Amino acid sequence: MTGRFDELIHPSTRLTLMATLAAADWAEFAFLRERLGMSDSALSKQLATLEEAGYVATERRLDGSRHRLRARLTPTGRTAFEGHVAALRAITDLAGTTP
Amino acid sequence: MSGTTPEEASAALAAVRHAQSTVAGEIGLPRGYWWGLGLAWVGFGAIAELGNPWVTTVATAGFGMVHSVIASRMLDGRRRSEQVRVSAATAGRRTPIAVVSMLVALVALTLAAALAFDADGAGHPSLAAGVLVGAITGFGGPELLRGARRLFRA
Repeated sequence: MTGRFDELIHPSTRLTLMATLAAADWAEFAFLRERLGMSDSALSKQLATLEEAGYVATERRLDGSRHRLRARLTPTGRTAFEGHVAALRAITDLAGTTP
Repeated sequence: MSGTTPEEASAALAAVRHAQSTVAGEIGLPRGYWWGLGLAWVGFGAIAELGNPWVTTVATAGFGMVHSVIASRMLDGRRRSEQVRVSAATAGRRTPIAVVSMLVALVALTLAAALAFDADGAGHPSLAAGVLVGAITGFGGPELLRGARRLFRA
């Protein structure tokens, strides 16, 4: 995988969000909010930013009388995430830092 | 490239690993699966007490069919939670091996327990063994699977 540093992904909250979604086929809003320790509004904002970039797709599903939001990485988002991680590894490798 | 220092990159990679291990922590089977399996174990113990090979054969075949349908959906360990679906890459390929090996070990434990109860003069050794292993499965299934996954590096 060729490293490609991605400024959009790099901020820690977005990187953690992308890493969580990269390990899953999809995750619900409530799961992400709890695991990432974020408020509803902060998570919504980050998801909207990533969705606007085409990295994340969201889908509202009706469960009984409640709407539940599912988020997943798009193929573009997965490629960007993997490229960013490769770029981070390249930086640590160059410096001989054990990640 | 980005003005990111090696230390910052290292910290970012650690955050990525932590986030991914959080998702990996969701690998497993739903609680209901373990309780269902525990109850089936008690049922098998009770059926074995009847001493009728036909009933035992039909029950075993029925259980095998029902379990194979359930297992085909759940054995990969990606559906424990309704809030997240763990990716196949994260779940790995060894989780089903860990589950099946655990089931084989529980069968061996049941046989050993039944023989021990019988040797001790217990009135209903098969039922007692079924209740014992059923309780272990129901209460401790998730923990046993975690141990089995570690053993198989799944």
